[in-house]
Amino acid sequence: MDELELLKKDWQKKEEHHPKLSYNDIYGMIKKKSSSTVKWIFYISIIEFVFWAVLNLISYNKESLELEKTWHIYEITTALTIINYLVLIYFIYKFYTNYKLISLTESSKKLMKTILNVKRTVTQYVWFNIGIFVAYLVVSLYGNLNYGVSSEKISEAASRAGNETLFWVMLIGIVIVAITIALIFIWLFYRLLYGILLKRLRKNYNELKKLEV
Amino acid sequence: MNKELEHKFVTELENNQNIVHKVCTLYTTNREAHNDLFQEITIQLWKAYPKFRGDSKFSTWMYRVSLNTAITLYRKSKKSIKTQDFDSVIFKIKTDEYDATEEQQLHLMYKAVRQLGDIEKALVFLYLEDKDYSEISETLGISEVNARVKMNRIKNKLRTILNP
Repeated sequence: MDELELLKKDWQKKEEHHPKLSYNDIYGMIKKKSSSTVKWIFYISIIEFVFWAVLNLISYNKESLELEKTWHIYEITTALTIINYLVLIYFIYKFYTNYKLISLTESSKKLMKTILNVKRTVTQYVWFNIGIFVAYLVVSLYGNLNYGVSSEKISEAASRAGNETLFWVMLIGIVIVAITIALIFIWLFYRLLYGILLKRLRKNYNELKKLEV
Repeated sequence: MNKELEHKFVTELENNQNIVHKVCTLYTTNREAHNDLFQEITIQLWKAYPKFRGDSKFSTWMYRVSLNTAITLYRKSKKSIKTQDFDSVIFKIKTDEYDATEEQQLHLMYKAVRQLGDIEKALVFLYLEDKDYSEISETLGISEVNARVKMNRIKNKLRTILNP
């Protein structure tokens, strides 16, 4: 293609048309903060790790311990907590090792894949936490309905309603719908957050991947 | 980071800054965005510098980090309002060197290249820099054959843009 050859000649001649930055200009630049995608992903991840860890800590106090005992769910919630912390450690380790792998000297394709892997680790961590959260919610609900202060009132209401089965089905239905709506919101939030951050990267990665098929 | 390393890095970048400017020229459309991307690439180069062993040329290493920043890490800043046609600043062609048709042709070519996608631009950039296909394939992480195929497709695409 003649035009491209023409462009090549011109391109290599073009050096003198670029603005020339001084030593001090460049020196000033290396002192500034990056605003790259990876940096943002790093910050968001730290916030997420801290957020869920704090949520676990504050939701766990003496009162809740007593309540769990009276609701007969103490063993199961303790098990959930232990699993939670083990998995947290695993995710932090995995996040750290993945993050360390990010190297700009790699090929573009490999670099993009590493970044997407870091992001995937964090997303998995968040979904795991949501899973634990829902499990905890279900267990508490079960304990509350069976042994809670208002459990008798609820049972009474159920028998008064005439059709007891229908009452319970509706109650469970409402709980499921509420949880689903909450999950959809969280999912949308993540789609938006990472969608904005990684739109370009994902597009470019897919283009490179498509080439190899 | 010690002063000596800083000094060495800044000096090398100062001497090779053209590479970064060229990447910025391809991936941005106005001066503000150009400076913004230059800034980000400089930070990434500096961050990666301690791991630069010198087993490749400084400039070769720069190509990789600069391109990777432009196509993976960089987020176009919202503030970059299109104030002026950048072509008229950067791609100013001395009229005494070229005849009018050539100048016109070049202008159209630059405009066409601007319309390409990020990956396509990366290939064109390396091609214009006279890199061979093995280096292109290594830089992008695709096979040499696919790099050639892609380059041919880009040439066709440019042809279509130029002669619709």
